[in-house]
Amino acid sequence: MSFGLLKIAAALAALGLFVSACDRGASRAPEWTEAEVTTLKSLWLESLPDLPDDPSNAVANNAIAAEFGRKLFLDARLSANGGVSCSTCHQVARRFTDGLRKARALGLSDRNTPSIVGSQYSPWQYWDGRRDSQWAQALAPLENAHEHGTSRAQVVDTVFGDTDYRMTYEALFGPLQNPAGSSNVELNIAFANIGKSIAAFERTIMPTTSRFDEYVAALVRGNADAQREILNADEKAGLRLFISKANCTQCHNGPLLTNHEFHNTGVLNFPGDVPDKARAGGVREVFGSEFNCRSIYSDDSAGHCPELDFARTGIELIGATKTPSLRNLEHTAPFMHKGQLPSIADVLDHYNKAPDAMIGHNEAEPLGLNTAELQQLEAFLTTLTAPVSELGVEL
Amino acid sequence: MISRRAVLYCQLISLFTVLFSGDVSAHGGVVEEDDLCVIKVNYLRAHFKVYQPGALGHEQYCEDLPMATESVFVMEYLHDSLSEMPIDFRIIRDVTGKGRFARMEDIDLIDDIDSATVFYRAPVVEPDIYLVNYQFAEEGDFIGIVSARHPDTGKVYAAVFPFEVGFTGLGYWPFFIGMLMLIQFQYLLMSGRLKRWFGKEVAVAACFVLGLLLSPVSFAENLVVTYTTSDGDPEINKMHDWIVHIENDDGLEIEGAIVDVEGGMPEHNHGLPTKPLITAELGGGDYKLEGMRFHMSGYWEIIVSITTDNGSSKVTIPLQL
Repeated sequence: MSFGLLKIAAALAALGLFVSACDRGASRAPEWTEAEVTTLKSLWLESLPDLPDDPSNAVANNAIAAEFGRKLFLDARLSANGGVSCSTCHQVARRFTDGLRKARALGLSDRNTPSIVGSQYSPWQYWDGRRDSQWAQALAPLENAHEHGTSRAQVVDTVFGDTDYRMTYEALFGPLQNPAGSSNVELNIAFANIGKSIAAFERTIMPTTSRFDEYVAALVRGNADAQREILNADEKAGLRLFISKANCTQCHNGPLLTNHEFHNTGVLNFPGDVPDKARAGGVREVFGSEFNCRSIYSDDSAGHCPELDFARTGIELIGATKTPSLRNLEHTAPFMHKGQLPSIADVLDHYNKAPDAMIGHNEAEPLGLNTAELQQLEAFLTTLTAPVSELGVEL
Repeated sequence: MISRRAVLYCQLISLFTVLFSGDVSAHGGVVEEDDLCVIKVNYLRAHFKVYQPGALGHEQYCEDLPMATESVFVMEYLHDSLSEMPIDFRIIRDVTGKGRFARMEDIDLIDDIDSATVFYRAPVVEPDIYLVNYQFAEEGDFIGIVSARHPDTGKVYAAVFPFEVGFTGLGYWPFFIGMLMLIQFQYLLMSGRLKRWFGKEVAVAACFVLGLLLSPVSFAENLVVTYTTSDGDPEINKMHDWIVHIENDDGLEIEGAIVDVEGGMPEHNHGLPTKPLITAELGGGDYKLEGMRFHMSGYWEIIVSITTDNGSSKVTIPLQL
């Protein structure tokens, strides 16, 4: 090695020492302000409150019902062609989504398959909130011609004709009538009970710890080394943007990273479809839903339905869709209510531009983030993934 | 004495009116009002816009469309009764030979409208917004016809709007507008009207101010609204109740008032996620407000409208969450 090269090598080594010293120095200074730590803790899975009761579903927390619901969830006999179960679209490996733009079962449905993870905390189900409980939601695809394409009589008949199912049903809900001789109300009660069992299973599909949650745990414990190891510099920079100038936490807040509310963010229509009216239609539908909280099929004898009582209506809801959770985001592409945007980068680009909405108005404002910042945000969003093995669901 | 310019001005205005506006005011069509594209179905108005989302993304058009491609027509009602009326939507190839000057009378003269029709959507009541998605197969001149049937009287109102697909130029509009502006400016300058109008404007402004002062809203005494919540500081995403306390600035509690509560985030131009209601008057100027929920942190305003025998007033509660 020549003397010149040696000098350069020595200079580089000195620089390296200096940089690492700076790095150590920087890590001693508090990385997050007190207010930022409060925000980070609010997004932490540890902050998730206990699952609220569902008074409309008497078996919501019943383990036997949950196991019965798990079997029903997987049972393709609950479809017109014997080939479609709930898990056709809600695939556990894809965090209960299907990787398609719009759900495809017996036919092509109208919207993208939403994940089930965390949906037990939402007062509204579906992108447009057209059902107000998990059990009422679980019934709708069974009778939708593009999904399971069956009928409530056939569903009840399947349970009636299967000895194991019938015994479990009767242990939970009492005697099951032969649907052939049932009145409409009797049939609907049995159908609703089947939905309530599926919901009991779905309530067990809880979000689990992601790298982001481990990072916040390390932060709370003051473990600086762990903090450095868990998230890299880009991911941390992305997290900082997420809670500051990218405005993400305006809607993606709380430990599920959703406010469960409806917002118009100006996504283009799906090719060939008219723009989706979304919540404007959904709120009308939920009021008319025969299995809503006010129906005779709800188990809440007090008839207490605050979500319906205080639901907002009006033109402000045109084109507004429900904020999805961001947990497990990297496994739930494509994104938006009709899967219009294929990748996380496309979604970030969309919010960065915040274009005018085709219908209603886009609530988001342009962000003015540069390419590096968008990449940092994307890096952060991948830290919200939890391993599928930890979902605690065996299918 | 009438100057030659005045005559020319009048002629041009007449021509302009006949060609462009006369049809619209008589029957209905698409016009631009204050940068807003509006469709007039007789007296019923809707914000009108067209997108070619597949090719041109979020770009919006008023009438003429750049390409023969997927096109989404949007009518956002500016008149509530449109949300209760069956509306149909037809697009025909322009077989009238009238181009952009085609009117309803010309449509009525078409013998076989079905054979000229490229798209038809049968009457349907759309309660929120009216939407059509049509894939144009070819460029050319087209005419859109929107009709709405009044649910009570059965009367049918229609709007006719000729448009071009594969539109590249601006047609005669810039020419007409340029001519008009030039002639009007010259006329005003020569006739001395600019000065006289200046005086008139002051009078108009004075009328406007007077109108505001005499506006029919009467204000009650200054009211003070305070609140307590069921859970301490409002928690994001959690439905909770408030007790709203109303008194005047002399400390007199206001009882028996009709109280309405609205709210939202002015910076985001949206309201509350719920529609909270006063469910009980608790006495002593206290009112129970149920169904409150905030779904974002940030700056909120809660607007409490109070109506008593003395009149109405609104009190805004600022809230930083």
